[in-house]
Amino acid sequence: MSRKQRFLIVVVGLALPALFSIWAPALMNDYLVRVVTVMCINALLVISMGLANGFTGVFSLGHVGFVAVGAYVSGVLSLSDANKASYLPDLPVWIAAIHLGFLPSTIVAGLVCVVLAFLVGAPLMRLSGHFVSVATLGFLIIVNVVLVNSDAYTRGARTFTGVPLQTTLPWAMAWLLLAVVTLARIIYSPKGRAWRAVREDTIAAQALGIDVLPTRLSAFVIGSFFAGVGGSLYGHYLGSFSPASFYFAYTFSLISMLVIGGMRSLTGAVVGVIVVSLLSELLRNLERGFDFGIVSVPPLYGGSQIVLGVIFILIMIFRPSGVMGDLELSLGRIAALLHRGRKETNT
Amino acid sequence: MKLTRRNVAGLAVMAGLAIASSSFSSRLAAADDTIKIGAPFNVTGAQSSVDSPALNGAKLKAKEINDAGGVLGKKIELVIYDTKTDPTVIASTASQLINQDKVPVALGFTDSDAVLALGTIFQTANVPFVTPGATSPKLPEQVGSQMFLACFGDNVQAAAGAEYVLNKLGGKRVYLLRDNTTEYTTLLARYFKEAYEHGGGKIVLADDYKHGDTSFTAQITKLKAFPTKPDVLYVAAQPDDIGVVVKQMRQAGLMQPIVGGDGYDTPLLLSVGGKAANNVYFSTHAFMAEDSTPGIVKFYQAYKAAYNTPPENAFAALGYDTVGLVADAITRAGTTDSAKIRDALAATQGYKGITGSISYSQGSRVPDKTVSIIGVKDDKLFLAAEVTPTWIAKP
Amino acid sequence: MSLELYITQQIINAISLGSLYALVAIGLSMIFGILRMTNFAHGDMMMVGAYSTLVLQSLGLDFGWAVVVGIGLGALAGVIVERVAYRPVRGAPEVTLLLTSLAVTYILENLGILIFTSSGRNFPIPDWMNSAFQLFDGQITFTQINLLTVALTAVALGALGWFVTRTDVGLGMRAAAEDMGAAHLVGLDVNRLIVAAFAIASGFAGLAGILWAAQAGVVEPTMGFTPLLKAFVGAIIGGFGSIAGALLGGYLLGALEVLIVAFLPSEVSPYRDAIVFALLIAFLLFRPNGLLKRVQEVKL
Repeated sequence: MSRKQRFLIVVVGLALPALFSIWAPALMNDYLVRVVTVMCINALLVISMGLANGFTGVFSLGHVGFVAVGAYVSGVLSLSDANKASYLPDLPVWIAAIHLGFLPSTIVAGLVCVVLAFLVGAPLMRLSGHFVSVATLGFLIIVNVVLVNSDAYTRGARTFTGVPLQTTLPWAMAWLLLAVVTLARIIYSPKGRAWRAVREDTIAAQALGIDVLPTRLSAFVIGSFFAGVGGSLYGHYLGSFSPASFYFAYTFSLISMLVIGGMRSLTGAVVGVIVVSLLSELLRNLERGFDFGIVSVPPLYGGSQIVLGVIFILIMIFRPSGVMGDLELSLGRIAALLHRGRKETNT
Repeated sequence: MKLTRRNVAGLAVMAGLAIASSSFSSRLAAADDTIKIGAPFNVTGAQSSVDSPALNGAKLKAKEINDAGGVLGKKIELVIYDTKTDPTVIASTASQLINQDKVPVALGFTDSDAVLALGTIFQTANVPFVTPGATSPKLPEQVGSQMFLACFGDNVQAAAGAEYVLNKLGGKRVYLLRDNTTEYTTLLARYFKEAYEHGGGKIVLADDYKHGDTSFTAQITKLKAFPTKPDVLYVAAQPDDIGVVVKQMRQAGLMQPIVGGDGYDTPLLLSVGGKAANNVYFSTHAFMAEDSTPGIVKFYQAYKAAYNTPPENAFAALGYDTVGLVADAITRAGTTDSAKIRDALAATQGYKGITGSISYSQGSRVPDKTVSIIGVKDDKLFLAAEVTPTWIAKP
Repeated sequence: MSLELYITQQIINAISLGSLYALVAIGLSMIFGILRMTNFAHGDMMMVGAYSTLVLQSLGLDFGWAVVVGIGLGALAGVIVERVAYRPVRGAPEVTLLLTSLAVTYILENLGILIFTSSGRNFPIPDWMNSAFQLFDGQITFTQINLLTVALTAVALGALGWFVTRTDVGLGMRAAAEDMGAAHLVGLDVNRLIVAAFAIASGFAGLAGILWAAQAGVVEPTMGFTPLLKAFVGAIIGGFGSIAGALLGGYLLGALEVLIVAFLPSEVSPYRDAIVFALLIAFLLFRPNGLLKRVQEVKL
């Protein structure tokens, strides 16, 4: 397919969601706009988690730890001075003096996560299989403990609030598109092939001259940048959160999206987010109890999570590669679809 | 059904339609014949033992008002959500209340962290919010002009507790144990310390624990190793922790009076603490009994008739009063415009609730109310004192 | 209080806590030893045991019998989970097993919340169990519950020891843990062995859950979560897959936790959990086979 065609497809592929995100408030009610916004943020987080978990075979359970760091760092930086004085009176003066806008604080959050990922990943990426999963779980817990005890910076376990509500659908969509384009380019490049080689067989990869540790570390670090960004987006969406907002429940939620959609493809991650988010919303509304004709179902709080858990297990049993498996909605596939269409009209 | 891509896409479309239709239909049902009042409460989760009674009290008052003709000729409708004591859910629910249900005013929660989770959202949207039982006196300043308390502030109840300890229990030396992971307990402990020391008392030892801890052996051992024995133990605790704390303290041989705040006003104190709860005192908003004030007695019987159980704690009465307060403000405002309701609330003078009289004087959005001190003797609650403290710490 | 008395009291606390961790850690190690699987749902067996005892008591059953049946129900729950959720994915990559166990714990905890609500419920114990022993003028206290914990743990360990050295099933389990393929080859019914392992492991966890609830006085659906993580650290420190290692690791961890809070300055003790997990990471990096195991793992 020609360069021009490819370019055209990419531009259209980016422009459509972008325009949709800007026009959405006029097309749908606010509640649906909010659902789509959260889906974009979750898609960003799931894609970045998939870098390590799906593409390099290092199943990290600590991704949400970076999300937490991103949320708190960007939150502290973007609190208004009045709110800082009211909620964080013991903040060190040099931090209190900094006040950043939405974009700068998000980028700073991402960069802080990158540094943290280097420090954490350098020792941990040496481990394999469930050892690295358990070790990264330990990282998640350590982050939580530190956040809970850093009263002066985070209000400890108490509600952290006052974060300006700046995450709109265009912002979330923009970051998501940026991440998709960046990661697609990396994954389907020689570096990405090195990642997948390391995932499939570390010894064979080493025999080919691929150094395992830096390869895994690069995926981990890039993933953590977008985790930090996603954390900032989520923090500026909620306005209030606490360390418990970024702990096991959220981890399981993201993992289920990744696994159900398919760990080995970017499209899978996005599909997983859509399926799980819609299903969760639907189930959550059903949880409050409803009347179905003559049948009246009482509120069953917690029921939606059980259903999701069961679906998760069913996927693990019957289709562990997820809905998408290895397949991607790649440019080649789009071209093939277009080609088929054109061939048919020509005859 | 095989999980092919087509089937998944179909599922996704169906799910999307289902959501769209449910939200659409709720929009249709939102006719103009009721006045909607948002009611987020932590029906499940750690706060359920205090939020559930508050919600029940609120529903009772709403029914009474509607039976008597409603407000401004229309029935009031509480838009109830269970926020599961989860700040993430609270924040999402707040947005749903404002953007989807479009409530002009809302009330809810008995815990300060929960209110903080949605305060900014209501403030930014200029929708007033009244809390029946979140007692942090800093809330109106922290959140802004839309935030009102229907209950007294923690500085008031801590001062009342301090005076009771000094004057009635003769406690000159106090051990202060605090849950340092929630807003309410952290502030309560601070206000108590200020008031108690101002009254001449001495805190001999202070210690912390985390909300949800089940073992207090470390703190108890440290206390017992301490050379000076305190006369009284003041513990700033949440409802789901106090039973365990009290039990383990008595097991360790600490028999001094244990004193605290309205976090103790929960059935869990007696059900979990058992005999250990004797010689425990706490400050709260009202004493729920059949021989209390006439207003409370009437409420007691109505609650029992409606829910098959006597009101579990003072928060039931607070929920009841808050709905009454909001309905009264709407009546005075004469409209369901949020700004006018807010102003009517701010102008409230002498609203007679069953937990006391509510007035917001001099621009304050925390009412001045008296404090009831309840004690536990022979496995039963009794009213130990009614206190209006003389010296109160600044919020 | 003199230093010796303070230390003695802390030792008592450590043994009491360590016993609970050891009970849970042993189960974790057993399952890992046989199936090479990290079972995150193990902690929920504690919850099942505790709630079963609670419900049985409220139905009128004597405390002693309620405990026995509670342990049995815990064991049964483990067997059911294995049959329904783990057997279909046996042989799958490690990560799949781990994720499945995450899903199971998610389901079980939410089921608990659905049935019992998430707020704590009082866990009644007979009055005599609440009585405390006070020595040295009240400076050292321990309750009947502490004594019972240590006693029951010792009994359970003794029974387990007899089981794995004297019975066919027990020996078979050890064989399968050492080399599953060889166990197949010599004709052992591996499925039965796995079921036995899950039954014992979950029964132990159920017992631990009941003792934990007795000490705390409350049960709530997420009660098993934190002890599971701690027991997990203990099992890894001792040597994951080795029962003796889990025993050692459980007690070590109990001692470590108590030490941190008792002897370190109060600025540091809130970081107790962070220290414990940092220790876990250190072991995973430098001594992944723990203190007792000698098998070399290929680490890349």
